[in-house]
Amino acid sequence: MAGDSTPMLLSGNHAVAWGVRLARPHVIPVYPITPQTPILEKITEFHSAGEITAEVIAPESEHSAMSACITASLTGSRVFTATSSQGLLLMHELLHYAAGARAPIVMVNVNRTVASPWAFWPDQTDSLSQRDTGWVQLYTESPQESIDTVIQAFRIAEEIGMPVMVNHDAFYVSHAMESVEVPSQACVNDFLPEYSIPNMLDPDRGQSFGAPVDQATYNRVRREMGEALNNAFTACDSAHSAWMELTGRNYGVIEEYRTDGAELVLVTLGSMAGTAREAVDALREQGHSVGLVKVRLFRPFPNDQVIEALKGIANVIVLDRNYSPGLGGILHQEIKAALYGLQDGPKVHGLLAGVGGVNVTPAKIQELVLRYADNDPVVASIWVE
Amino acid sequence: MLEILIQGRGGQGAQTAGNLLARTFFAEGKFVQTFATYGGARRGTPVNSFLLVDDKPIRRRCSIERAGAILCFDDSLLPGLLSQFADRDTLVVVNSRRSPEAYESLGDYKIITIDGIGIAQKNGMGRIINSALLGAFAGALGQPSMAKLKQVVEETAPVKKPENLASCQEAYELTQEVFETRI
Repeated sequence: MAGDSTPMLLSGNHAVAWGVRLARPHVIPVYPITPQTPILEKITEFHSAGEITAEVIAPESEHSAMSACITASLTGSRVFTATSSQGLLLMHELLHYAAGARAPIVMVNVNRTVASPWAFWPDQTDSLSQRDTGWVQLYTESPQESIDTVIQAFRIAEEIGMPVMVNHDAFYVSHAMESVEVPSQACVNDFLPEYSIPNMLDPDRGQSFGAPVDQATYNRVRREMGEALNNAFTACDSAHSAWMELTGRNYGVIEEYRTDGAELVLVTLGSMAGTAREAVDALREQGHSVGLVKVRLFRPFPNDQVIEALKGIANVIVLDRNYSPGLGGILHQEIKAALYGLQDGPKVHGLLAGVGGVNVTPAKIQELVLRYADNDPVVASIWVE
Repeated sequence: MLEILIQGRGGQGAQTAGNLLARTFFAEGKFVQTFATYGGARRGTPVNSFLLVDDKPIRRRCSIERAGAILCFDDSLLPGLLSQFADRDTLVVVNSRRSPEAYESLGDYKIITIDGIGIAQKNGMGRIINSALLGAFAGALGQPSMAKLKQVVEETAPVKKPENLASCQEAYELTQEVFETRI
C-alpha cells in the first residue's frame, strides 16, 4: 500500500538524506560544511551501497556545487544539494542565477550562524539574507517535517519551474535524533511524478540560457519569474493535500496552533515553533488566551494567510532567531508589512530571541509573553535575554 | 519528561553514548529526542549530548537547563557541569577512579563514581569507556532495561562485541547496588 511507512530513529539530517533517496534525483553536487555534513555522508553511504543511483559530484567549493546544480538541472536532470551558513553565502551569486534561469533545484540549508565571529549555533540569518534571490523558502520544525518537506519540495520546484530551499535549524533539528516515519518508495512514486522539464539544454537542439537581453526583455523575464514564484502557493497547497491523503500528515503554508479565541498570538519560524507550542499550552492552562502561527513558507511570503490568521487579534509577538543589522528581526518586518493598513490590526511586538543560538525554553517564551503583552509596541525589534 | 545530559570531551564518545541510550529508550517504546552540541569540531573541547525521554511526543526544541540525570565522561568538567546543569536532585554518574567523597567540596550533589577506564581495560576494551559508562548509568538510574541496552550495544558495536557487553554488564552491576539502596 502506498501509505506504508517504517518508523526509524533518525536525525533531521539523515531524514533529509532518506527523503533524497526516495525522491531519486539524477545529480547531486554537494560540498561538506558543519552542521550539514551528515546529509552528504548519508547520501554517499546510500550511493556506495547502490541505493542512490544519482551522479554524486564533489566540487571544490559551494560556488562550484551550485554552478553544477544549475547546468545539470537545465539538461533536464532532477538535482539536489545541501549546504549551511558560509556555504550558502558563497553560493549567493548563483542563487540569483538559478532562480533567473528557472532551474528547479532542491536544496536543504541547515540554519547556522554566519561569521564573523565563527560559530556553529542555530540562527536563520544565513537563509533569510537570501530572501531576495527568487528561491522558494520553506522552514521546518522537526526531522519528520524535514523528510516530508524535501519530498514535497521536488514536486513544488518542478511544478512551478523555480528552485526551492528547505531550511532546518542546526542541532535542534539537524542533529536531533527521534522517531521518523519514512514513507515507502511506492508512496513517494505516487506523489512525485517522473521528472521532465520543457526547455532543456540539449545538444540536438540549438537553444541556450542566459543570453544578454535588452531592457524590455529583462523586465518581462523578471515579471514572469515573479509570477512563477507566486505559483508556489497553489503548488504547495496541492502538494500538501496529496501528501495528507498518502501519509495523513498535514502541513499548510502557515500553521495555526490554538489560535481560536486567542487574544495574543506568537509568530515564529522553524524549530522554535515546537518550543512555542509548549509555552502556548502552559499559558492556556494558566488561563491566558494565547495561540501560535508558524510560518512554514517564507518566500513567496503568505501575506493573505497571515492577514487571515491575525486579523482581530489584539497582540502579536514575533520571535526572531535572526538579525538584520540596522533593521532588526526579519520575520518581524515581514509580519508588519503584511498587516500594514489593516483596519484595527493587531499591535505587533518584535523580539530578537535566540539570536546566535541562545537557548529559548518554553518557560522563557511564557515569561516574554507575560512581559510584553500589555506594552505598547515599538517600531524596532527588541533584544531579549 | 526525563532530561538527561551526557558531557565529555570531543572524541570521548558522549555523542555516541547519547545516541545509543536514545536507541535503547526508543526500543522500549518511549518517545525520545537526542542531539549534541559542540563549540567547535575539534577533539578535546566539551561536547554536550542532550537526551529527552517521555511517554508522549516531544515538541520542544531547546537545550536542557536542569538535568534530571547527568553522565560525565571526564571529571575535570564536573565543576562547571554541576553549577550549570545540576541541583540536589540530579543523579550524577561520573567516570572517575576516586570515591564520591572526593567531590564533596563541589557542593551538595548526588554523585556516583565509576572507574570506566579500569572496567574497560579489565574487559579488553583499552580506553574505550562508552559501554562501561552506559551500563553504569542504566544501573544507577534504574532505566533503561539492561536487556534492551545490551541488545543495542551488541547491534551497534563495530568490533569487540563480547568485550563491550562484558564492560557494560560489569559497570551495570556495580551501580545497580547504588540504585537498589536508593529506593
